Amino acid sequence: MRELRLAAESRRRSSSSSRTLDNPLREGLRLERVPDPAAFVLFGATGDLAHRKVVPALYQLWRTHLLPHEFTLVAVGRRPYTDDAFRADLKASLDRYSRVLPVDRDTWDDLASRIVYHRGDFSDASSFEALAARLDQLDRDHGTRGNRLFYLAAQPSAFPQIVAQLGRVGLDHERHEGGWRRVVIEKPFGRDLNSAVRLNREVGKVFRERQVYRIDHYLGKETVRNLLVFRFGNGIFEPIWNRRHIDHIQITVAESIGIESRGAFYEETGASRDFLQNHLLQLLSLVAMEPPTTFEADALRDEKVKIIRAITELTPEQVRRDVVRGQYGPGWAEAQPVKAYREEPEVDPASETETFIAARLTIDDWRWSGVPFYLRMGKRLPKRATEIAIQFKEVPHQLFQDSATVPEPNLLAMRIQPDEGIMLRFGAKVPGLGIDVRNVTMDFTYGSAFQTDSPDAYETLILDALLGDASLFTRADEVEQAWSIVDPVIDAWAQMPAPDFPNYYAGTWGPEAADDLLAREGRRWRRI
Amino acid sequence: MAEDLTSGGAGGTGGAVAPPQPGEPTLRWTAHVHSPSDVERELSRIWAQPDLTVAADGQTVGRHIAARTSVMNLVVVARQPEVGEHAAHMISLLTGRHPSRTLIVQSADPDGPTWLDARIQAYCVLPRADAPETCSELIFLTAGGEAGRHLSALVAPLLIHDLPVTVWWPGEPLLHAAPALELLEGTDRLIVDGSSWSGDGLDRLRQLADLYRRFPRLSVRDFALVRQSRWREAIATVFDLPDFLPFLTHIRRISVTYGTRDETGAPGTTNVVKPVYHVGWIASRLGMSVISPLHPIEPGGRGAVPGPRRPHPGERPPLHRGLHGRLRAHTNDIGVFIRPVGSKLRAGTTLRVEILAERRGSEMRADVTAEAENVHVHAWLDGVQAMDRTFRTPRRNDIDLLGEALEVGGRDPLSMESIQMATKIVEVR
Repeated sequence: MRELRLAAESRRRSSSSSRTLDNPLREGLRLERVPDPAAFVLFGATGDLAHRKVVPALYQLWRTHLLPHEFTLVAVGRRPYTDDAFRADLKASLDRYSRVLPVDRDTWDDLASRIVYHRGDFSDASSFEALAARLDQLDRDHGTRGNRLFYLAAQPSAFPQIVAQLGRVGLDHERHEGGWRRVVIEKPFGRDLNSAVRLNREVGKVFRERQVYRIDHYLGKETVRNLLVFRFGNGIFEPIWNRRHIDHIQITVAESIGIESRGAFYEETGASRDFLQNHLLQLLSLVAMEPPTTFEADALRDEKVKIIRAITELTPEQVRRDVVRGQYGPGWAEAQPVKAYREEPEVDPASETETFIAARLTIDDWRWSGVPFYLRMGKRLPKRATEIAIQFKEVPHQLFQDSATVPEPNLLAMRIQPDEGIMLRFGAKVPGLGIDVRNVTMDFTYGSAFQTDSPDAYETLILDALLGDASLFTRADEVEQAWSIVDPVIDAWAQMPAPDFPNYYAGTWGPEAADDLLAREGRRWRRI
Repeated sequence: MAEDLTSGGAGGTGGAVAPPQPGEPTLRWTAHVHSPSDVERELSRIWAQPDLTVAADGQTVGRHIAARTSVMNLVVVARQPEVGEHAAHMISLLTGRHPSRTLIVQSADPDGPTWLDARIQAYCVLPRADAPETCSELIFLTAGGEAGRHLSALVAPLLIHDLPVTVWWPGEPLLHAAPALELLEGTDRLIVDGSSWSGDGLDRLRQLADLYRRFPRLSVRDFALVRQSRWREAIATVFDLPDFLPFLTHIRRISVTYGTRDETGAPGTTNVVKPVYHVGWIASRLGMSVISPLHPIEPGGRGAVPGPRRPHPGERPPLHRGLHGRLRAHTNDIGVFIRPVGSKLRAGTTLRVEILAERRGSEMRADVTAEAENVHVHAWLDGVQAMDRTFRTPRRNDIDLLGEALEVGGRDPLSMESIQMATKIVEVR
């Protein structure tokens, strides 16, 4: 944990603005830095994301004294609310979604007194002018000093409009006396390479790249951050982290839930856009990237971009062979019968949207040449589990062939969720007179080792954005590069005959073709 | 003989007890022995216990297997039994976060015959309902006669090998005495609370700094210094402002005001470790050297600030004017003032830190004050207020501080350099 803390500290120290670097009094301060006074402007404040994730994260940061005293939350939404009515709505959501329950009344009242509701349509220019005036007033009333974080938790289609409006009323301008402006943009960032480039261009017309924080909440998860500590804070793994010792790598993101109430959204995205383009490729890049020279945001992101660039773009033929798509039919999940995807609300009864994707990718570089990366993501799989499994090669010569159990190659599994931890499998002699080998595991679980609650990913990322630390956020070129991996897949599918959907039952591990993807190379998916 | 509390009585017989509640440490086993080898034997017996059961609603159900976990050896030197009990209570609350083998060492009857009394306890905590219990050991060692003077010999056989050794010495540590030095020889980390030391606390502060010279690998955590973390954050924030940063090399005066309950406020009556740490931290970060260590300000003498009139007969005399010293950075002399004011707060509590700097005809002043649970920062440039910020300060009790002290491993340069500089500032000439 200390490594993680120090890494985070070093990251914060080194990635903060130069003024902090020059201040010798900052040296060695261990306490988490408190961000500058700021107004947090939340677009889409009445939406699901704001209520489930963003506001609970802000409450938790406030509760643990990690937000500045001079802080205001300006909630922007279309629906009519008074400040009090909106605060009551937020409190009700907090009572359901807060990580720490019950919600402390005094702490909430303290934070709630800093929350104001601003009604406005994103297309209405006058509402942004009113917003600018209100923020100026809040600067005077609450001492927020012109620092503003714009958090876009609205519908993705509204992003360009919101950004343009912010620019039109001058809310993007950073002041000479130190008032900073940052914009946090939720995924999905575009729906293909062209739209991502267009969106980046639109955002770039208003904000500079250093002001833009594209959020992928997977990067804020404790275990994902620990992946960097594990790889680069321990000397014993890096020497074997290459093609000479690793047979293949599996990355699984399994969800037991379906699409819940997001039928319309999912019809537009599917597993490839919702997961492959961002979460899966982000995990892959962290597993495969070279060590960055420092923990600064750009050094880290340069390495991630390099590895995504090195992923072999798939030809239509390779897509046919190495990518499997699926859609769940009816089945059973958690001992309950569940509907097929095509029967979900807001879903086309003849939908060809994939709810499952498995892909075999390769990386053309010195370290990973010839090592397949198998990625899979699916809805309505038997359990919720996210895991990265590093499968090492077999020993060159089997000494213990007479053993009742043939020792399996070593495996290192990093569980992202749930039950976050790391497991190493190796062979051990069974006690007795003979030489029998059995596979055993060394298991590290965060819960048992530290027994302190890990912060939610949104807490980590919101705090980082307020502190001006972009290392866990994706950069424009990173997003575009990831689309250039996914676009050929989507294009190839468009040219292929209609898929035989549904092709897996809800509550199973996806279509058989996904198993075949590994089986034809003598491998199989790890049983999770 | 170990007593298994889970199964309701000695020898593991009797009815099962209620299942453990997640997050709540539970005393699982106790034993009482009289030699170090018996301690090891009993510990082995405890951890060899098979999986046990507990009752839920009158029915026996399978219990999570208890796993002994230790991330360190924690040695607590308690000079009074009540200090040991209090420490044990605090540590039991940290079982989940910092499982350790804890040895609480006390000496008794120094002139009597040699004897040893060891009470062994095992605490377990269930992290989650579906997780195995994590357990750790707490051993009360009371040594009589000559044995009590050989702390190291008492403790060394009971340490788990390859795990770091932390010594927590609450109250008044005898840091210069031979038993302490023997014990610290094999110690990785020492935890003390400088704000609890008697008198002005400065003698022990000097002893603490001396330990850094004797034991280059030793890491020291002082609660008094840890408690000031938000103050440091607040003071550092002033110089994050680009306009103020250049003034850091042109500081002219550092004044720290602390609360006293003594009606004279005379030097030596109130612990001033915390106020001195503020100066030690600033001076060490800015590479200052000591020109003149702190000494009492004589009425009308050098460093004295024009004071109020003489008291009328029957009127309470004014408080002592405090301490004054001089530091130097580059070619600048910096006056240091540490002043008492009457306060109902805990004696020695910092109430205000003021920094005055002058550069190219401009004057910069920063004023950091504490109020309730907040630290306020005001800063002025040529009389114009340029900063007005409030830092919400988490109120940390001793359990939080101990948890934090245990969490941070390795040598902490900020702590080491602040303590060493503080010692130079209070050096006796």
